[in-house]
Amino acid sequence: MIQIKGLKKQYRSGETVVQALRGVDLEIQNGEFLSIAGPSGSGKTTLLNLIGCLDTADEGSIHIDSTNVAEKSRKELALLRREKIGFVFQSFNLIPVLTAYENASFPLSLLGVTDKELHDRTVKIMQEVGLEEMMHRKPAELSGGQQQRVAIARALIKSPEIVLADEPTANLDSETGQDILDLMEVLNAKHNTTFIFSTHDQMVMDFAHRLVRLHDGLIHSDELTQRTAAGTKVGSRSVGSRA
Amino acid sequence: MKFLVNLAFKNLFRHKRRTLITSIAIAVGLALFILIDSMLVGIEEDSTRNLVLYETGSARIMDSQFWEEHENLPLKHSIDNPQPILEELEAAGIDAAPRTVFRGELIMQKDPYPESGSIQAQITAIDPQRDPQVYLIEESISEGRFLKEDRLEAVLGAWLAEDIGARVGYPLTVVTRSKEGFFQTIDLEIVGLANTPNPVVNRTGIFIPIKTADYYLQMAGSVTQIDTSFAYQADIEEQTSKIRSVALDSRPDLTVVDWKILGKDFVALAAAKSAGSKVILFLVFIIAAVGISNTMLMSVYERIREIGMLRALGMERHEIRLAFLIEAGGIGLIGASVGVLIGVLLNIPLVNTGIDYSALMRDADMGYRITGIMRGLWSTATIFTAFFTGVFLSVLMAFIPTRKALKLQITDALRYQ
Repeated sequence: MIQIKGLKKQYRSGETVVQALRGVDLEIQNGEFLSIAGPSGSGKTTLLNLIGCLDTADEGSIHIDSTNVAEKSRKELALLRREKIGFVFQSFNLIPVLTAYENASFPLSLLGVTDKELHDRTVKIMQEVGLEEMMHRKPAELSGGQQQRVAIARALIKSPEIVLADEPTANLDSETGQDILDLMEVLNAKHNTTFIFSTHDQMVMDFAHRLVRLHDGLIHSDELTQRTAAGTKVGSRSVGSRA
Repeated sequence: MKFLVNLAFKNLFRHKRRTLITSIAIAVGLALFILIDSMLVGIEEDSTRNLVLYETGSARIMDSQFWEEHENLPLKHSIDNPQPILEELEAAGIDAAPRTVFRGELIMQKDPYPESGSIQAQITAIDPQRDPQVYLIEESISEGRFLKEDRLEAVLGAWLAEDIGARVGYPLTVVTRSKEGFFQTIDLEIVGLANTPNPVVNRTGIFIPIKTADYYLQMAGSVTQIDTSFAYQADIEEQTSKIRSVALDSRPDLTVVDWKILGKDFVALAAAKSAGSKVILFLVFIIAAVGISNTMLMSVYERIREIGMLRALGMERHEIRLAFLIEAGGIGLIGASVGVLIGVLLNIPLVNTGIDYSALMRDADMGYRITGIMRGLWSTATIFTAFFTGVFLSVLMAFIPTRKALKLQITDALRYQ
């Protein structure tokens, strides 16, 4: 579970101080499929970065499984990210010299698993994302959608507790974007991994089971979506709208 | 670690052309380093040997006063009764030969010479029997023969003979002053020409028998110096001390001076040229370093977002740094291997055949004691130094931009354009 209390973050851009987050409270249960939505500058990426321990908050706290990440050292945060958090980036961020297989298996290499386990898990995850036939291709030989599937495989291969995806479909056409969201939703259900993705795209918001809207660094609304209500995915808790 | 090495290896070939160009820059730099060093060490080694074997001997015994005024070659400060000293040195196993060096004027008359004229010269009177124990002049006779004792004859440096138009069989008149200061004229016949590997000897050498000089200079058996020979690699201090203790205990008026002092012009020149050459070598390395630095800068800065991603996925800074350093080391390894290979291959003919600079050395005095063929010298230390410097330099050049890139916040790195 992720517990966020009174989260504030400001950036300085020259003489200007930008209040990216101005006091965010949020609780995310394990296995949620949650979208953080809002216009540009609303604080979506900042919130994802803070949850992903890529940045530190000015005020407030983030607890992941009762652990206050603010109390962790840089090395401990790196280990936390290595073991518990997967990332999917807008521009895929695959390593061009590695094959799809090598890109996907890279987080397992960091965890020091055996060669056999690495191979078995990589083949399995590549099958799950539908790229078993293309796993020896390099990113340049894959389409945008296929590259994002590799990125999702890379995020999920270590069975993390949380997958953070910053605008995962922004660089894809709508059809491919929808395929990716379908895949994420299936994998969310299958692995019970918490998916948190930021977007300003209505189609993506429609996929979320829970939608948190940010505006000017504050939560504008937090609600379960019709998709949840329709039973596609049932969250383990109820939430109310927060101003 | 396996992953880091794999990643570094694959990144090495991410931009093949860039890696190739940088490796070539390193290879050329290191090959030049090996060749220049081989050449310089070879020249210095040959020069030193030729200085000792044809010009100065290993160490010289002189009257202290003669040494103080040696630029004037004062015959009055010569070594009286040198025979006991020569015998003591011989008994101690030290090769030694007496010499008398004096100034004179060479007089040449037209027919057989091309033109009449005279030149100031330094003449060396040598003992034809003993001198070959210390010097290799006899072995260098290219025309005619070596000197015989007590005769009115001379051997000239081959280049000097060429310059004045002298040939074997030509007469040569020397006007000089005796030990007591009286003018003397010595009529000699040129019996041989010496073409040594030492350009100073070739350009200025005039040798006559010591007994002839003794008679005409009224030396009464005294000589201006006793030159000794010991192994070139031997400890100079130890050897000169030995000479002192063997031969000079009872002769406090005499002094021993080693070849490093006698050839100080060459030693100083060699040191200066060595320093200059090191600057050239340093510049070669700078060029290689700039090449590596440029490649690694581009390599690191174009991958800042990738670095951000790697850190986001849990890689620690030192792991990423290591991956980049392995990559740079790989470029260095390729460049150094190729550079050492090229350097070694090119050094083989340089060592075995050398480069013929005789046309240049004949007309220009470069200070080195070599006449033509400049040969290289193998130096394992240089080859290893070149190899490891190439690899180390590459790693060092990668360290700085990598360190800078890793200082960025992960979020800044991920946003980096």
